[in-house]
Amino acid sequence: MFKKIKPVFELDNLRLWKLSIFGLVLSVLGISDSIYLTVAHYSQSVVLACPTTSFINCAKVTSSSYSEVFGIPAPLLGIVFFTLLFIIELPTFWSRKYLWLRNLRLAFVSIGLLSVFWFVYVELDKLHAICLYCTGVHVLTFVSFVTILFATEHHKSIHDI
Amino acid sequence: MAKSSNKARYGRVFGIIGVIIVIFLIIIISKSPTTNNSSATDGKASAKIVTQITTIPSSISNQIGNGSSTLKASAISGKTFVASNGLPNILYMGAEYCPYCAAERWPMIVALSRFGTFSNLGTTHSSSSDVYPNTQTFSFHGSSYTSKYIVFTPVEEYTNIPNSSGYTTLDIPTATEQSLMSTYDAPPYVSSSEQGSIPFIYFAGKYLIVGATYSPQVLQNQTYQSIANALSNPKSTIAQGVLGAANNLTATICKLTNNQPSSACTPTIVGLEASL
Repeated sequence: MFKKIKPVFELDNLRLWKLSIFGLVLSVLGISDSIYLTVAHYSQSVVLACPTTSFINCAKVTSSSYSEVFGIPAPLLGIVFFTLLFIIELPTFWSRKYLWLRNLRLAFVSIGLLSVFWFVYVELDKLHAICLYCTGVHVLTFVSFVTILFATEHHKSIHDI
Repeated sequence: MAKSSNKARYGRVFGIIGVIIVIFLIIIISKSPTTNNSSATDGKASAKIVTQITTIPSSISNQIGNGSSTLKASAISGKTFVASNGLPNILYMGAEYCPYCAAERWPMIVALSRFGTFSNLGTTHSSSSDVYPNTQTFSFHGSSYTSKYIVFTPVEEYTNIPNSSGYTTLDIPTATEQSLMSTYDAPPYVSSSEQGSIPFIYFAGKYLIVGATYSPQVLQNQTYQSIANALSNPKSTIAQGVLGAANNLTATICKLTNNQPSSACTPTIVGLEASL
């Protein structure tokens, strides 16, 4: 099994390989955070109490009407997003064979970043509260975007396009 | 030529990152809540409604017993908190925005009125952007309470008016009050995830409640009058919640007053003491 998986993590350019691995780590963290938020969204609050810092209030954020997009909990969409991101950031998909994936990857993570703008706006303007776990996902999405941006430019410089 | 090409390439990257950061800053700065100097409390509580909820016949309360109350006071060996006249002091720390405080004030007023009299209660509602939005409730801010048996010290720390750090401040706790909350609204008295939660009710160092003792769901979309009216119907979910919680609070207070007065510490209430 390892022999089948190993090629997926191989890439002939070291710098691009490092950026790819870093991107994978971010995606794994994003999946973990999103799983936690999904559980929080579905589980009922046992403690009927308000946090003392009203601005940092995960219960308020994860139970608001804005926590669902077309009826789908946002954290579930986060799991899907980071899982797909993990796949398209695998080192093998940065090889010359997958040039067509380069712009698609950047467009995909850009959509993620646009959704971060929306959720930050909702937290500040509508809910007047933030959830630190959501903020974690926002940061991971932003850093993933920056990583892919750098990797894409480096990919262009290598393959002379 | 390759170097200048790379320079241009990475200059573009940093430019894009810079634009994104500026967009974030614009969102954060423009959408941060600004301070609002409007009064937090909606007004004075209707004397008629206060009388209505504080004169519920004991036959109704006794019928409800524990009701749908889900949380009881936990016994602690805390720092003694008594008033200057030697009476046990009950400290309440909450906030007007908090929906769980909004729910808990109803049974607190019912229970405490069995031992004394409130005056100058205000009316307010919980935050419109939180869970259980706009829960109609009273406010202890500016109120007073007199009793032969206990002293009640309420602190409503915040209003329901948003500002850049959450909500505007209201009552400022004394150093003693803050110290009690810092000590007993923390492990090992509550779990680490509940640390600092409100409402926080400290019963003279002997009992502790953190959180609402029944679900605020029963008060959703209800007016003051409809809630007050529902308390006369022992089968209503509102009565089961509010009066059930009030009975548990009463039982806790009776433990502090050696079951005085007997009008409050009825056999039904004394029976609830066993579970504390």
